[in-house]
Amino acid sequence: MNVLVWLAAILFILMILIGGKKGARSFISLFLNFGVLLLTIIFMTDPNINPIILTLIACAVISCINLFYINEVNSKTITAFISTIITIVILLFFIEIVSENTKIQGFGEEEIEELGVFSLYIGVNFVKIGAAVIIMSTIGAITDVAISITSPMREIFYHNPSISRKDLFTFGLSIGRDILGTNTNTLFFAFFGGYLGLLLWFKDLSYSVDEIVNSKVFSAEMITIFCAGIGIALIIPIASWINAYYLVKTRENNKLSK
Amino acid sequence: MNVLITKFKELSSKQIVLFAIIGVCFVASVIFVHHNYSFYERPIAKVIKTNLEDTTEMIDIHNNKDHLFTQHITAEIKNGENIGKIIHLTNKYSTSGAYDQEYHVGNELFISIDTNSKGSTELSGSIKDVKRDKFVVYIAWIFIFILLIVGKKQGLFSIISLAVNAVLLSYALDVYLYDPETSLVLICSISVILFTVISLLLVNGFNEKTYAAIIATLLGTFVSLFITYLVLWLTSEKGLRYEEMQFLTRPYQMVFMAGVFIGSLGAVMDVAITMSSSIFGLYEQNNNISIKALKTSGLDIGKDIMGTMTNILFFAYISGSIPILILYLKNASPLGFTLSMNLSLELARALAGGIGIVLTIPIGLYTTIFFVNRKRARS
Repeated sequence: MNVLVWLAAILFILMILIGGKKGARSFISLFLNFGVLLLTIIFMTDPNINPIILTLIACAVISCINLFYINEVNSKTITAFISTIITIVILLFFIEIVSENTKIQGFGEEEIEELGVFSLYIGVNFVKIGAAVIIMSTIGAITDVAISITSPMREIFYHNPSISRKDLFTFGLSIGRDILGTNTNTLFFAFFGGYLGLLLWFKDLSYSVDEIVNSKVFSAEMITIFCAGIGIALIIPIASWINAYYLVKTRENNKLSK
Repeated sequence: MNVLITKFKELSSKQIVLFAIIGVCFVASVIFVHHNYSFYERPIAKVIKTNLEDTTEMIDIHNNKDHLFTQHITAEIKNGENIGKIIHLTNKYSTSGAYDQEYHVGNELFISIDTNSKGSTELSGSIKDVKRDKFVVYIAWIFIFILLIVGKKQGLFSIISLAVNAVLLSYALDVYLYDPETSLVLICSISVILFTVISLLLVNGFNEKTYAAIIATLLGTFVSLFITYLVLWLTSEKGLRYEEMQFLTRPYQMVFMAGVFIGSLGAVMDVAITMSSSIFGLYEQNNNISIKALKTSGLDIGKDIMGTMTNILFFAYISGSIPILILYLKNASPLGFTLSMNLSLELARALAGGIGIVLTIPIGLYTTIFFVNRKRARS
């Protein structure tokens, strides 16, 4: 039997044992997300479609799956969704400028040898695809932070209905700060684990520090880590503000209608 | 303006010192990366003029259309014996830019100077690579500032924890390279214990919550590693395509297992700390809460984070393969072959990480309840 089938089966059984119905939904969401990712990649092979717009649509669908399917459609997931999209748009602009200037797109000289048999002139825009890669690797973490901020904010709002917008915003920020450390850690270690081979390669071939810092692969990895951190930090004030605005606004509307 | 002054007055002397240190580091590093040409042994040239000489349309054997451009570049050498001289370079690039790029005025390049042109006033040479250190430093600073502005103290701690962990990892790899006889998995186990203790203490401080989280993290990672190892052993690694693992100078299974180990650690820590702090939070609100109630609420919290946490790992691992998948597909490789060649290791990593996350939920629940019971017995 295939390793992947075994691991997937074990994960599925564990998720159902521990999470019940919600566990099953979490597992299915992994499959759905994989489908969305594959579809995005297939569309990206068409040079006439802008990869950035494609990424934006893919991110919207993925956050729908992560927010509305695993959780339910309610005010906290809707505000989390809006803040995710706003953060992604800001981050996309930033990352496109960055990858345009740093020229980290495509493949590095360390990778190119293995790809000798392939034609590299395939017409798609690798700069934009590079930006898409960075965004996609952070989207899971960004939606996670968004929902972790909006759901306790709503709890506080229900326990304390007369709370002011500013207090609500500050409360959101303080929750965000608490999870900032662990969430950045999650991504850092995931990337470190993935780059272990690369680090050993650099050390084995005794690259000098200046060669490492300027090499395409290493700077691309570092920039991915930094952009992921920036994304996680940016969503905190955005999600807190939008949620505070939304909750206070609906309260005022309710008062008016009464 | 007045707001700024009052804000400034509220700052303690400690904070002012900290801001000053960060400010000085920022200015010093920016000045350094702008004027560090002489620290490089490789010759560097700054582009001062570009001229597009030739454009050709090309179609490859798979019917992919692309454009090839030839660019003439005039650049000024910035270091070495030829400093200040002008050099002429040619650059070929395509619109796709998989392994090439267009250069603009102001770009800095590593070059090699043709020996036969030395001595004459007009040098010629070829482009080796791009000088990227400036941008890496800029983005690092943007990252640091945004984390500090949004996260304040917690932001500072997560930057410190990132730096400490990176140094620790680099040191662990040095130990492994120095003495390859010791198993990489053993070295990683020791580093994992250090990573967990350092990161969780930095994020959460010295208290029972942290101790419970540390124990849960270690148990969770080691149990999931054991399960992954068992599966690999039972299936004799069928379906894993190690040949596509990049950058290999070492036994690949070891590198892969160590990567799985470290990669899932962050997510497992996140789950462990969420479980322990929320269960301790419930206990602190109501000291008489029953163990059964703690269990139900703990499990509910676990269910809530399970899906999003596995998705974080999934995207962090799989997204990196997007460019190579596109390259395969555009070179007319069948979809099934492309996926099994390029995604088997990433998927295995994501699934193994997911197993770690899910297992840590009950492990975290019971370790925290153990610590709650101990605290209750003492008080």
